[in-house]
Order: sequence, then C-alpha cells, then structure tokens
Amino acid sequence: MKKKVLLLFVLAALYACSSSETEVRQQSIPIINDSNTNEPPAPSDDSWSIPISEVLDGGPGRDGIPALIDPEFTSVDEAQIIKDEDLVLGIKKGDDVRAYSHIVLDWHEIINDDVSGTAVAVTYCPLTGTGIGWNRSVNGPATTFGVSGLLYQTNLIPFDRATNSNWSQILNEAVNGPLIGTKAKLVLPLIETDWQTWKRLYPETRIISLNTGFGRPYGVYPYLDYKTNHDAFLFPVPLDDRLPAKERVLALVYENQARVYRFSDFAAGDIIRDTFHGKQVLVAGNPNFIVAFDISGPMSDLQFTYAYSGSEVILTDNEGNEWNIFGEAVNGPRQGEQLQPARSFMAYWFSIPAFYATTIYKP
Amino acid sequence: MRIFLYVLCVIMANFLQGQTCCSGGVPLSNNLGLANEGAKILQIGINYDYNGLNTLFTGSDKLDDDSRKRLTHSFLWNTAYNFSERWSAEILLSWVNQSREITQFGQTNITETSGLGDVVLLGKYTIPELFTPSQSLSIGTGVKLPVGRSDLKTADGIQLTADLQPGSGAWDLIGYLTYTTTGFRPSATLSTAVLYRFTGTNNSYLDNTSTYEFGNVVQGILGYTEQIEVGNILLNPGIVLKYRHADPDKINELVFPNTGGEWFFLRPEVSIFIAPDIQLRSQFELPIYSKVDGTQLTSTARFTVGMLFQFNPKTIPVTQS
Repeated sequence: MKKKVLLLFVLAALYACSSSETEVRQQSIPIINDSNTNEPPAPSDDSWSIPISEVLDGGPGRDGIPALIDPEFTSVDEAQIIKDEDLVLGIKKGDDVRAYSHIVLDWHEIINDDVSGTAVAVTYCPLTGTGIGWNRSVNGPATTFGVSGLLYQTNLIPFDRATNSNWSQILNEAVNGPLIGTKAKLVLPLIETDWQTWKRLYPETRIISLNTGFGRPYGVYPYLDYKTNHDAFLFPVPLDDRLPAKERVLALVYENQARVYRFSDFAAGDIIRDTFHGKQVLVAGNPNFIVAFDISGPMSDLQFTYAYSGSEVILTDNEGNEWNIFGEAVNGPRQGEQLQPARSFMAYWFSIPAFYATTIYKP
Repeated sequence: MRIFLYVLCVIMANFLQGQTCCSGGVPLSNNLGLANEGAKILQIGINYDYNGLNTLFTGSDKLDDDSRKRLTHSFLWNTAYNFSERWSAEILLSWVNQSREITQFGQTNITETSGLGDVVLLGKYTIPELFTPSQSLSIGTGVKLPVGRSDLKTADGIQLTADLQPGSGAWDLIGYLTYTTTGFRPSATLSTAVLYRFTGTNNSYLDNTSTYEFGNVVQGILGYTEQIEVGNILLNPGIVLKYRHADPDKINELVFPNTGGEWFFLRPEVSIFIAPDIQLRSQFELPIYSKVDGTQLTSTARFTVGMLFQFNPKTIPVTQS
C-alpha cells in the first residue's frame, strides 16, 4: 500500500510541477458590474521610449498604491495631523486655492482632482521628491492617472486609465503605450512649500482631507530616513555628487536640459534674473519656497523687487505692481495680468541629472 | 516512542519559513527537520503549503484595506536518511508559485511567478535520551543554496522585486535546537524549539546593480500534542504557539522600509497514521498578534497538507542479483 500511495503522491507532485519552467505571468482582469469599470484598451505597442532595462517593478504593483480620485477637502481650521513644517503642493485657479499635503501624497502619489473646471492630476514621487501637476485632458476627454508600480530612475511611472499608457513623471511624457511620445500639459505653477507658509499666504485655502476612503497611517512617513539620508536609495539610480543627493532644488526644464536653483541662493529672500535657453527667467525665493517665471516679452523691462512679508504679495516692481506667488498682479496698473510660469518643479537634486543635462545656477 | 518522534517531526515541520516576512515568500523548509526514527531509515515527505497574505498592518494596527493579496503555493519534497540513531542528513527541494493580486478601481491586476525554489541541506544530531528516556534533544545546522531564480523579469523585460522571486539569490545558514519530553503523561508530548536563520546577501540583485539581503529570522515554538485512537486509526492532534521575529531586509546594506516585524501564531494540527509507516499530516496557522515594521501586507492564513513515508530496511525484502 505504501508504494502505491507514494507513487500517487509522486505523480500528483509531478503534475503540479509540470510547468516547472520558471515563468512570469501578468494579467489585468476587469471586474464586471462595477460602476467604476472603464476597461482600458490594451497598449497597442509594447515598445518603450526609455531603456526597459532601467524600468523596475517597485514592489506594490499596479494600483497597489491607490491614486485618489475626486478627493474631499477641508478648511485650515479643520486640518488634522499635518504639522506646520510638513510640505504641501499648492494650486490656485481664481479664488479656488487648494493644498495637497505630502502626508497624503506619500501614500497615494497621485491625486486626480478638478480645480475650477480644470482636470488636474497632482503627481508626487516620494523617492525623487518631485511634485508635478498635469492636465488630465490628453488628446480628448479628461482621464485619470494611476500608479503603475513601476519606476524609472527610481521615479514614479503613472499610467492613464483611458489608454493604459505609461508615463514618466519627470520627463512629463508617455513612454509606453498608445500615447508614447505625447507630452503632458503641465499645470503651472504648482507651489511646494511648508504648511505654515502656505496657510499664511492663503488663509482661505482648502487642504485635502484625510478622509480619503483608504486606511493609511497619514502623518507617518513610509520610507524611514530616506528623504534626509543622502546615501539611502531603494533602487539603483545614477548619482551626481555636485550637490547632496537629497537636497531639495527647483529645476527649470527645457527639452533635455535643466537648471537648478538652491535654497541657499535665497537665504534671506531674494530674486534672481537669469537666462535659460534664450529665455529671461525670474526666480524668487526664500528658505521656504522657490518659484520661477518666464519674463521674456512684455514683462522683461520690469524691475522686480522681492517683497514677501508673510502676506500674499511676494514681488513688487518699478511700476507699482504687486505680484503673488502664482505670478498674478494683485495690485497696481497691471492688476489682472499674470507672469508666465516657467516649466519647473521641485525635486531632490539627484533626480534631475538622472534625466536632464543639468547646470547649477551660480551667482 | 512513535508519538515522541512524531512530535519532534512536527516541531521541525513549518519551522524554517519563507525568505521574507512581508510577502508570501517561499516556505522552503516547510517540512524540514524530519525526526530520526532509527538507523538506516529513509524518510520522504511530500507537502503542499499555502501562505496567504492580505491583511494590511501598520505597526500592530490593522488597516481597513483588503485590496491586495499575496499568495504562495509551494510543493515541497524532502528526503532524510538516518545514518545512525544520532546522526542524520536531509535535503529539501521546492517548487514555488507566487502571485501578487491587486483589486482596485474595477480592475484586478495579477503578477505571477513560478519556478524551482532554493534547496536546503541539513545535518542533524539527536540525543534520544537526554536526562531520562522520555526526553530528547536535537540540534541541527544547515545551509540554503541559492538554486532558485532570483532575476525573473516580466515579458516586457521589467525585473521583479526580491519578494516575488522563487529564490533569494543568497546562501543562508541555519541552526536549530529542539527539546521534547513525554514524561508527564504517556499520551502527551510537550515540545519547544528555537531556530535562527542567518541570511546571506544576493550580490547580483537587479542586474548586478544592487545587493539585497532578507532579514535574519529567529523563531521559537511551544507545542502540545495528544495521541488518541479512533477506531483503528491513530490520531495525533496538537496545538502549537509560534513566535517569529524577522529583521528588516537590506538593500545595499541599508534598511529596506516596511520589512521585518514580529508575530505570534497559533497552529492547530493533526496527523493521522493511515498505515504504520505513512502519515497524513495537516496544519492550519493563524496569526494572533502581528507587529510589523512600517506598513506591510502580512500573514492572514496558512495551511500545509502532506504525507510522510518511512522506509525501514528491516522491512524491505532483499533480492539477489
């Protein structure tokens, strides 16, 4: 009997392991009868515009980090857990002022929102410290973006649910799928600063609620000392030792080039006039924020002065205009006009030269 | 003596866990540590092991999220040979199927890997009568060989992370100590055991760009087993309390976030002797306390079923060639 039972088990084991070749299988299965179901078409092209060997699976998997869609907001007084020193990404459309806190973005990475009629995806990669706003209308009706779970140069790869295309956040471009090569329309400026500074600038701001529909320990940073330890990396990425790896910088990007500005350039609050790619750039900042405008054209003759004193106004000029952090003239003869935001975003230093030929601003 | 040896066997069963605490891992040594039942005896164990993780924890708090699932199905084959009543050796082979499943936004995304897992070689020394005939002590040491693949990629060529790989890509050292006594009641056995797994480093992780090391593991169990007879069938029901501590994993010698932790499990189990030398064995393991480092998907349930065959040369007829 023993021999028979053993034989039976051997056969069963062999059958179970009959596909014992090492293999990997991936599939996406739409859930029927789910109100959120919009079955995305399969990518028409499996090719990537970035080196596939440098695209890595980050671990959580596709939608393992759940992006938020149409989130709730709350007032300054009702904001919970967030500390004054916590960073937020701020956006303003008319009187609609919103803050997206890092303590939420650390756990969701993408927030799909509508800001006064503009379909916005606020994307944030905790591993590269990059917060970038995209217009969700890409070649048609607004889509939503999700977290693919993939990384390129340790940076977030979002995907759009309309076409299933994968995008590089820092390149602001679809790198795989039907939309490959399509550039994202940036929502500018997206201001990154601390909560205390933001609510002083805009006391009437609303901030994303912690009532997201997902159970997450908001306020707990999920990556240990990653954001301050210049030697800590979870995935391989080329490093450039000109600056400390995790130093937060403002990056101006144009095609494949970038220029970065450091907080130390604005230690006491200051403005810098610079030229980047043939364009005149005005960069204003202090130890809490840096923002950049393209002042080529009719604004180029204005003589700007740094004027931030805790209220909305951060710049004045020789015409008597007062400008806010979004480049809007809030007082003076040009009231209602707006400075052209430069293509820029905040980032950990290491992530910029990993994507762009980068120069560092020197006074 | 049979119940005594059975319990010793069960102690070691499930003892060496998978390569990581935060994933399904590979229950590579699920059936490792077969008891020494006498000189010249050959033992073969065949087991199926299911390990399901779909409970999201932060620290010791359970989060309201059941969207993610990690499943590991393992088929394990171990063979032990007892050179004498004290010395024995064992080898364990495995085939592993792992899946990562996420259900969100009306879509279920599955990534699945399968293949041969790592191999464990173990040497054991048993003192059958420690202080009295009813007490036994067994010590063992072994090594895990990185035979399983640790560089699997998707069809697109995207390399998967360490915890979805069938192998760890590293040599591990294993040491254990077990003590068993049946002295307090003839039909009952009390047992305790400690294991330490010193993990090695995969130096070719992510196409040789990084190193990865799963966290060292220490594990302890306390088990109680009764032997009862139902009709002509001998049953060994038992209950085991298991403690497990895993250090965080390391990438490039730095702690990898959201790995490591400690757990208490309760494990009812039963063994049935369907023939004098054939055991049908089953275990069901549930976590009763989990405290993870950071936020992790952690163990929800686990079970193992299998059979153990014993070949005694005294019962094998000798044929002339």
